[in-house]
Amino acid sequence: MNSLAEKYADENVNSIFLYTHEAHPAENYPHLTSMEQKFRHARALRDIYGVSRPILVDALDGACHRAYGSMPNMTWIFDKNKRVLYRSSWTDAISVEKMISELVEVNQRRRNRERLTPFEVEKLDFRIIDREGFYKGLARNGPKAVKEFDEAF
Amino acid sequence: MENKDLITRYNYDSFVPEKFQPWMRWDEAPKAGTQGPDFPLWDLDENKVSLGKVISESLYTIVEFGSFT
Repeated sequence: MNSLAEKYADENVNSIFLYTHEAHPAENYPHLTSMEQKFRHARALRDIYGVSRPILVDALDGACHRAYGSMPNMTWIFDKNKRVLYRSSWTDAISVEKMISELVEVNQRRRNRERLTPFEVEKLDFRIIDREGFYKGLARNGPKAVKEFDEAF
Repeated sequence: MENKDLITRYNYDSFVPEKFQPWMRWDEAPKAGTQGPDFPLWDLDENKVSLGKVISESLYTIVEFGSFT
């Protein structure tokens, strides 16, 4: 997602990361109890995972996250009038790039004076399952995260 | 805004179905074509910003939601 942000920055596409709550709280990164802690975890995300996009932190009660459906790692694309153009219950850079490249093309076609109107499409997209990477992330949170995930599924 | 019970439930302490499943509300989220609601957010320097204002400053804005864990 970071490289996608860099690739489309010149097309007037902004990319941000919105910090929510700990989906798999554990020994190293426990559940949040204060904004100070939330800022600390968000900075760790930047420093350890190398998120280079601007990180914005939600309120402690997750007001924004909850209003958008509270999925743990979703992605949305908006136009400048806050209109939802894309909503994905899971983040997949390939899926996001397909959409953003289409939107950039739509903008170009409009500049070429094509008359375009939107319509709704519903579909399923598909992503690669990175079980090894996922478990590596859980282990980084602490053994509790691994144990609870195994017990939940 | 600080509803302590809500804050505790939202920031659940264990990944167990009875604690995380109630928050999975994808079907209730804004639909494509509608205007997304605005909320205050904070940058890492702890300055208050507005999601809507951030979105209004670019042709398109990609917003990834997530956390360290």
